[in-house]
Amino acid sequence: MTWLLRRLGVSLALIWVVASVVFLAIHFVPGDPAELLLSQGGSAPDAAMVAELRTQLGLAQPLHVQYAQQMWRLLHFDLGRSMQDDSPVVDEITRRLPRTLELILAAALMAVTIGIPLGTAAAMRRGTWFDRVTSSIASLALAVPIFVVGTLMVMVFAQWLRWVPAGGFVAFTKDPVQHLVLLAMPAGAIGLGLSAVMFRMTRASVLDVMLKDYVRTARAKGVRRPRILICHVVRTALMPVITVLALYLGTLLGGTVLVEFVFNWPGLSGSLVSAVNARDYPQVVGIVLVISILFVGLNFAVDIIYGLLDPRVRR
Amino acid sequence: MNRLPWPAIGAVGLIALLAVFAPWLGLGNPVSMDVPHRLAAPSAAHWLGQDEFGRDVLTRLVWGARVSLSVAAAAAALACIIGTALGVMGGFLRGIAELLALRSIDVLLCFPPLLLALLVVTLLGPGATTLIPVLALVYLPGFTRVAYAGVLTARSQDYVEAMRVLGAGKVRIMLRTILPNIGGPILVQFSLAIAAAVVLESGLSFLGLGVVPPAPSWGLMIGSARATMAQAPLLLLWPCLALTLTILAMNALCDGLRDAVDPHPAYRPPAARLLEALAPGLLPTPKAVLDLQHLTVEITTPSGTIRPVRDVSLQVFPGETLAIVGESGSGKSVTSLAITGLLPGAARATQGAAWLAGTDLLRLPEPALRERRGASLAMVFQDPGSSLNPVHRIGDQIAEAITAHRSLSQAAAHREAIALLKRVGIPDPARRARAYPHELSGGQRQRVMIAIAIANGPRLLIADEPTTALDVTIQAQILDLLAELKRSTGLALLFITHSLPVVAEIADRVAVMYAGEIVETGPTAEVFLTPHHPYTAALLRSAPVEDGPPPEGIPGVVPPPLALPPGCTFAPRCPRRAPECEAAHPALLQTAPGRETRCIRWNAP
Repeated sequence: MTWLLRRLGVSLALIWVVASVVFLAIHFVPGDPAELLLSQGGSAPDAAMVAELRTQLGLAQPLHVQYAQQMWRLLHFDLGRSMQDDSPVVDEITRRLPRTLELILAAALMAVTIGIPLGTAAAMRRGTWFDRVTSSIASLALAVPIFVVGTLMVMVFAQWLRWVPAGGFVAFTKDPVQHLVLLAMPAGAIGLGLSAVMFRMTRASVLDVMLKDYVRTARAKGVRRPRILICHVVRTALMPVITVLALYLGTLLGGTVLVEFVFNWPGLSGSLVSAVNARDYPQVVGIVLVISILFVGLNFAVDIIYGLLDPRVRR
Repeated sequence: MNRLPWPAIGAVGLIALLAVFAPWLGLGNPVSMDVPHRLAAPSAAHWLGQDEFGRDVLTRLVWGARVSLSVAAAAAALACIIGTALGVMGGFLRGIAELLALRSIDVLLCFPPLLLALLVVTLLGPGATTLIPVLALVYLPGFTRVAYAGVLTARSQDYVEAMRVLGAGKVRIMLRTILPNIGGPILVQFSLAIAAAVVLESGLSFLGLGVVPPAPSWGLMIGSARATMAQAPLLLLWPCLALTLTILAMNALCDGLRDAVDPHPAYRPPAARLLEALAPGLLPTPKAVLDLQHLTVEITTPSGTIRPVRDVSLQVFPGETLAIVGESGSGKSVTSLAITGLLPGAARATQGAAWLAGTDLLRLPEPALRERRGASLAMVFQDPGSSLNPVHRIGDQIAEAITAHRSLSQAAAHREAIALLKRVGIPDPARRARAYPHELSGGQRQRVMIAIAIANGPRLLIADEPTTALDVTIQAQILDLLAELKRSTGLALLFITHSLPVVAEIADRVAVMYAGEIVETGPTAEVFLTPHHPYTAALLRSAPVEDGPPPEGIPGVVPPPLALPPGCTFAPRCPRRAPECEAAHPALLQTAPGRETRCIRWNAP
């Protein structure tokens, strides 16, 4: 229990540090954000307008006051208003975040159902043609960048075969079938690389565990091979695999940008890119913060799962 | 250092050469447009065709490699220098430097990489010059971690301590001793960072946040070819292919480098357990529980076949304890693993027979052997800490041994497991059965291992250094337990150890092994009183005796298994060596009833 509380404390501290770093990053960047924002047309910005924008953004106050205000607002889940359309950043995030999460979860489901069984099978048949073929496919899948996979999928499945639309999004409540059809390609593009990662991790981990002394003990006990595999090998072998999966899911929180862009999927990272292009600071800061907090939370969840699987950690 | 991945090095080198020499390949200008010929098909002048502005695709591909690789290499180099410096300083200076270096890295790791890149691009604006610090920042933590871990291992090593004692300055120690030692892992990290940076650079350029048009970049080319996908699909394929092949080659290089730097080379896949070379016609000795005859084990290694066990024969009778004693590497553990069919993948028994109750274990197929393991043939291993599964309760681990051989309900098996725990002297067995291995002491864990071994009433118990990992008082308790079990159940015990006092305490007979062979056997008391083999004698002199002379070491080392001397394997270290010892390999000679030795000069003056 104290173990759990300590991990929770560390996670909360990390979130606070992340929020502070993002705040400071914005303020220590060369140039005045207000000036930068208004000078995008190329002509020198009007001094009065800069001053007005500075007040509006709260940039006129001393740094520590701004910091305190920002933190106070954060505690109330207030991320400010977008500079593009003046809508609350929180609204945009709550609308788009579920779509990105759905994409990631679908990809993770695919990776777990493909990568883990194949990885275990390849490890059991190490050195055979099955192992060589699956390992080569995994290496290839890892080498193709995600936006290349996505673009080629659009070309093959939408352009040539005309099985699915090239991209887009329909709410599940409006048309469940079309929603899933549109989900298939972006989720598949992410899931392919993720499956390869899961495959390689599982294979290496199972091979590693099979050399452990306690597996030899199980064999010395005369336990049957399938039971050794399930009870002694896979359970321990999956622990590092789960960690890696969680870490990858975390990187995907920001990494779906490319896939959302290719398939025109209106997720969270898509709005991040447009915010970056428009230098919409409140939006960028809000999204970065939310994703980082999710990332830290995910790592916390991994620690808990680890504790449930391995009794040695619970101390 | 293992073999370097030359094919991958060649492929990556070729791509790098193309990129470096792009201006001198006679390819023309990558940005010169030819709008009338936009989207032209491949021709003699433009081998891969022209893009949407009529620019030559081949030229842009090669120049794109130049941009991608130079950005990636510069970013990886920057990350490598700063990250390694942070890690080395953190690991070596400790204190506040360590805290700052590691905590700042932890904060960086709170951001998903692409997100971190996007955040920095927002702040600095897009462009190739921004990309380098952006990518460097993303890959910096990896270098810091590797360098920090490397320094922590290196700094505790003797030579670093020695340099400090000699008064070398801290900076000098860092540069002269630590950096070369963490070079391997850093090199691997560097290759990983370049490969990842190429992917991230092309991704950012694809989004329009990286390299700025019209400069050529593979990511940009893929992005713009998307618009004309229907008219000119090849335009899309070329940069996709170039990018994928480059990353494939780089990944292969990374994997190869990692294997080359790894100090533990991968083992060969398991081969068949048996060779046909098994000599026929061997018959079991009547009455013996175990009759091992002429066992030879081979291990295939990259540098040749070694035979860690050669022509080993021994018998164990009911209610008897036979000890195999020898130094590490003498082949005693391999012998026991060969009997139980638990040899690791690269090793296999190639000659001999192992009779247990009328069946030859070496010729038994795995399913039949499995039925005997844990039933009539049980084993206890050296390290009870690693031999029990850390994630299962010990009661379940004992019950598993029971249900593997008898069809019993879970509850009945569990009751029996508790009875077994009580039998091996674990207090409060019902509560202890619910404990995990890490909650027990080393001695208790070994008692659990013994409980597992006796669960199905074995006829032969093989104990492979069961007390080596335990302290002396616990060691005595475990030996007492084994002796008591032997007396009460009549099982035969094959006890493997390197400790002569343990042999004296537990064994009826002893077999001394040296460099893969038995060099002397006989009743323990007789062998200890009048050793016939000089190695046994030297071993006895090397063990401390109460009120006796101080122990003497044995000069020289055990010969390496790939370079065994042609004659007696002990001759190079033997004080009684004569010219004829090195001429021919000695056979086992019977020297007295029940005693054998592999020394031709055993009774020489």
